[in-house]
Amino acid sequence: MIGVKFKTEHAPALLNRLNKIRYAVLGREADKGLLFKLFIYLILLDTAYIYLKPILHMLTTMVKNADDLLDPSVKWFPRVIYLGNLQEAWAWLKYPKAFGISLTLSLSVALLQTFSCAVTGFAFARLKVPFKGLLFSFLLLTFIVPVQVTILPNLIYARELGLLNTIYPIIVPAFFGLGLKGALFVIIYRQFFSTQPKELEEAARIDGAGVFKIFIKVMLPLAKPAILVVFLFSFIWTWNDFYLPSMYMTDIETQPLSKGISRIATALRQQAEQYGPSVTDEAIRMATTFLMIVPPMILYSFTQRWFVEGVERTGLVE
Amino acid sequence: MKSRFRLKTSLVEYLEGAVFIAPWFIGFLVFMAFPLGYSLFMSFQKVTITATKTTTQFIGLTHYRRILFEDGSILYNQLLPFLRQALFMIPIIVVFALMIAIILNQNFSGRTFFRAVFFLPVILATGEVVSEFLTAGEGDLGFMSKYNVSGLIKANLSATWSGPLTSILDSFVLILWYSGVQILIFLGGRQTISNSAYEAARIDGAGPWETFWKITLPAMTPFIFLNVIYTIVDLFTFPTNPILGRVRESEYGEFSALIWIYFLIIGFFLAIFFLIFAKATKSQRGAA
Repeated sequence: MIGVKFKTEHAPALLNRLNKIRYAVLGREADKGLLFKLFIYLILLDTAYIYLKPILHMLTTMVKNADDLLDPSVKWFPRVIYLGNLQEAWAWLKYPKAFGISLTLSLSVALLQTFSCAVTGFAFARLKVPFKGLLFSFLLLTFIVPVQVTILPNLIYARELGLLNTIYPIIVPAFFGLGLKGALFVIIYRQFFSTQPKELEEAARIDGAGVFKIFIKVMLPLAKPAILVVFLFSFIWTWNDFYLPSMYMTDIETQPLSKGISRIATALRQQAEQYGPSVTDEAIRMATTFLMIVPPMILYSFTQRWFVEGVERTGLVE
Repeated sequence: MKSRFRLKTSLVEYLEGAVFIAPWFIGFLVFMAFPLGYSLFMSFQKVTITATKTTTQFIGLTHYRRILFEDGSILYNQLLPFLRQALFMIPIIVVFALMIAIILNQNFSGRTFFRAVFFLPVILATGEVVSEFLTAGEGDLGFMSKYNVSGLIKANLSATWSGPLTSILDSFVLILWYSGVQILIFLGGRQTISNSAYEAARIDGAGPWETFWKITLPAMTPFIFLNVIYTIVDLFTFPTNPILGRVRESEYGEFSALIWIYFLIIGFFLAIFFLIFAKATKSQRGAA
């Protein structure tokens, strides 16, 4: 407002009004104001469309029958809801059994990682650990080393111990706070625990609590947001992962859903090569995808609110 | 007397720490350190695996020589295009995630709905689901074919670069699918900036543009750093990437060599990025 004093006395009022208009259109921050609102909604709607379109495509394709699939005028809405594709996918996947395996695997890994990574994160955040700096750099190393670098020796372990074609080779590392993205979870916990006030711990110590008691009774109850985030991530990533099952569980009888999908995709491809593509191929693939993602979607829909809050509160930070 | 007691408590504290870290450290030794070493060892060996035992025979750098100089098809025909592609994808993912996170942080109507939608990729964009969507043709942008954008790119760029670039544009939607966790990281990061910083800036007369560049972006720098690292690691370990599908039980030695070359390239990528980042923060601090 430096220029104001050189102007006539009406100028400040005018300038004020101009500013008001400016703020209304542009906003005081990048986030307020009409123009930005419009822009924001434009981006949001576009991106939401991008994210939702494959899912909608999946949902409509899987309930189309052969006629609707062939008819180009039927784009989004099938004339009849046809459940045959789903039934076929259900049978191909051996759904109840595969679901059971997926659930056992994901649930065990998620529970173990939720706890073991908390223990490790707590140690990194709040305890005096010998060679802490060095150990932490090891932790970062486990974060950046691709699974594939260590898979062969781990496969040899599993073979030597006779654990191939079981879920144990995937579960056991989770017990130690490793496993799929374990390092990330340790970092999340570490971040969370290190933001807790020191007084809490001191008060508990004065009351005579040992370190185990502090961890179980004081720290873990506080860590609910972090626990939720880790559990959900761990569950879903394990559920979706097909690399480890495809390495450890080559036996066709005991495959989790994620592996089943790729098996069906390959089978359909081979069939198409031999007999020519069938119209229902895509519908069946979409149906298998649907069957696989429904359980995590249900889990997510129940936990979504806490999950987002949890992410914001834990900061998911390093 | 007193000093002895204090020595004892600190020793106890170290012991407690050691107890808590022990499970992870054991796991690290068994599932990470030893396998790392062993796979490095195997990369110099001819490995034969029979039903009963594994025999190895030292052959030096033979595997490396073959992959790098003699039979370079895996490395040069599949890895290099992938690396070029990654070079484009990383900034797209990070910038997009930052933008979405800042937008999602605002108060606007329909926020809950949009948040739920934007976290969907976290749930879905892993593993097989993505490749299913990709085969279903859900990865491309409609306007690409409409306006023949790929044709334009091919006409104006050399084949080495136009190839990866068009393949990125063809799968642009999927690139956005990879940004779920990154959006979460940025959202978390945005929470660490206090509102009073924005209020103070507003009182000082800073406009939206200035607040973004002077407050939001500097405060987000560590998260940008974290996100780039996460994206690099994620892209490079994604099971659909060309190198990683090549584990063959029969060629343990050669695969180990391949994966170590690959790992060193990732390390190189990360190291370059660390250097750039260190320089950037230094100059920023110097300016401030």
